[in-house]
Amino acid sequence: MNPSPPRVLQGVAANLLSEVLPRIPTPFGQQLVGIAAMLDMMVAEEFDRAADRLVTENRIVRDLLAAGCGLLGDAVPPSVPEALAAPAAPSLRVSDLQRENDLLRAALIDLHAAVEQTPGPAARDLEERIWAELVESTRRRHLSARP
Amino acid sequence: MEEALARYLAPRLEAADVRVTNLLRIPGGASRETWMFDAEWTDPVGGRQSAPFVLRKDPPASLLETDREAEYAFYSAFWGTDVPVPRMRWLENDPSVLGGPFFIMDRILGCESATSRIIAPPYTAVQPKIAENMYRILAAIATFDWRGTDIERVAHVPTPETAWQHELDHWERILDTEAMEPQPIMKAAIRWLRANPPPPAQRISVVHGDYRVGNFLYREDGGIYGIVDWEMAHLGDPLEDLAWSFNQSWHWAKDGRPGGIVDRETAIAHWERYSGLRADPDALHWWEVFSHVKCQGIWVTGARSFAEGRTNELILPLVAYSLINAQDQYLLRTIGRLP
Repeated sequence: MNPSPPRVLQGVAANLLSEVLPRIPTPFGQQLVGIAAMLDMMVAEEFDRAADRLVTENRIVRDLLAAGCGLLGDAVPPSVPEALAAPAAPSLRVSDLQRENDLLRAALIDLHAAVEQTPGPAARDLEERIWAELVESTRRRHLSARP
Repeated sequence: MEEALARYLAPRLEAADVRVTNLLRIPGGASRETWMFDAEWTDPVGGRQSAPFVLRKDPPASLLETDREAEYAFYSAFWGTDVPVPRMRWLENDPSVLGGPFFIMDRILGCESATSRIIAPPYTAVQPKIAENMYRILAAIATFDWRGTDIERVAHVPTPETAWQHELDHWERILDTEAMEPQPIMKAAIRWLRANPPPPAQRISVVHGDYRVGNFLYREDGGIYGIVDWEMAHLGDPLEDLAWSFNQSWHWAKDGRPGGIVDRETAIAHWERYSGLRADPDALHWWEVFSHVKCQGIWVTGARSFAEGRTNELILPLVAYSLINAQDQYLLRTIGRLP
C-alpha cells in the first residue's frame, strides 16, 4: 500500500522545514518555504476529512431546511424547497459534495433570515438549531495544523 | 528590476549614474509587493549620494484591490505630523516601468515590524510603552484635520450618520462578490449590523483601515517610528480603527490581548485620553462585529484570486485555510455564540 496522501504531504513539509529552509538566504524566500510547509500540513488534514465533513453537514442542513419548510409553509423562501428538491451529489468526490453543500448553505442563509422575522417559540427553537449548526460547522472546519 | 529602477530614478534624482543595490522583497505585503533597496548616485555638483528606499508595487492579484493614489495621498498628508510615516517620493501609474504601478518612499532604518518579535524579549519589557504610543498615534489619526489636504481629493466624505452604512455596504458587496462558498455566519452578522446601527460618528476622521500590531515600525525604546500599510485608509467613524485593532485575528500572543501587547481596557483608556473622544461600548461592539465582516471580505478576496489562477502567491491560500473559518469563530465569540 502506498503511503497515504496526508503522510506524503507531512513528509514534504518536514523536509521543507528541516532541509530546505535553513539553506534559503533571503527572508522572503524563508517565509515562502515556511508557508509552503504550513500549507502542506493543513491540506493533509483537510484531505482526509473533507468528504466525511461534507456528507455529515449536507445531511444536517437538509434536516434544517426541511424543518424550515414545515414551520414556514408557503412563507418559506423559494430557495429552500429548491435546494431540497435538487439532486444530491452524484458521487463522493469532494467537488460534487461541495457543490451540494454550497446550494444547501445558500438556502440556509435565506431560511435563517426568514426565521428571524417569524414570531413564536417554534421559530425561536429553529433559530437556535440553526445557530447551533453554524457553530458546529466551524468546529468541523477547524484545522489543528493552522499556525 | 534593478536596471529598470535605476533608469526610472535617474531623471528624478537628477543623476546619470544611479545604481540600485540590495534589492530584496520584504516578507508580508499580501496586498502589494513590498521591496527594499538602496540607491547610489552622483549629484549635480559631483557629490556621492545614497539613500534607502521602499517600493510598493501592485501585484497581478492580491488580498485587496485598492487605489494606490489614495494610499499615496494618505501617507503624504501625514508626513511631518504627530503621526509618523515614511516620506513619499514618487508615484508611478504606468505599468510598463516595472510591470505594475508602484510608489517609492524613504525607508525608515533600525526598526522592527514583525508580530512575532513584539511578543518576545526584549520587546515584552517595553510593551506598555509601545501600546501607549500605538493608541496615542491612533488618537492623533482620529483627530487629524484632513480638510484642505489631498485626502479630500481622493476620499469619499460620508456624513456622521452614514459612515457605518457606507463601510458595511462596501464590505458586504465584496463578500457577496468574492466568496466562493456561502457565508451564513457573516450574513447573519450583517443582518444584525443593519438592524442595530451605531449612533452617528462623533466626527468624520481619517480611518487608517488596518491599524494593528504588524503595521507599524517600532524599536527597543518603545517608540513607534512609522505607521505603514495605508491601502485601506478612508474617511469615517474613528471607532472603526479602534475596534479593528481589537480583532482576534491580531491576538498574536493568543492570550486575549489585542496585538498580544495590551489589554483592551488600557487601550481604550489611552485612546480616549489622547483623542478626547469617547469609545461608547455599544458603538464599539458594533464596529467590532463589523471588523469580522471586513476581515472575511479580505480573506475571501485573496482566496478567489489564487483559486482562479490570477496569482501563485502562497500567502493567499495560507490565509484562506488558516483564517476564513477562524474568522467565523472569532465573530461567534464576539457575539457570544462561542465561549
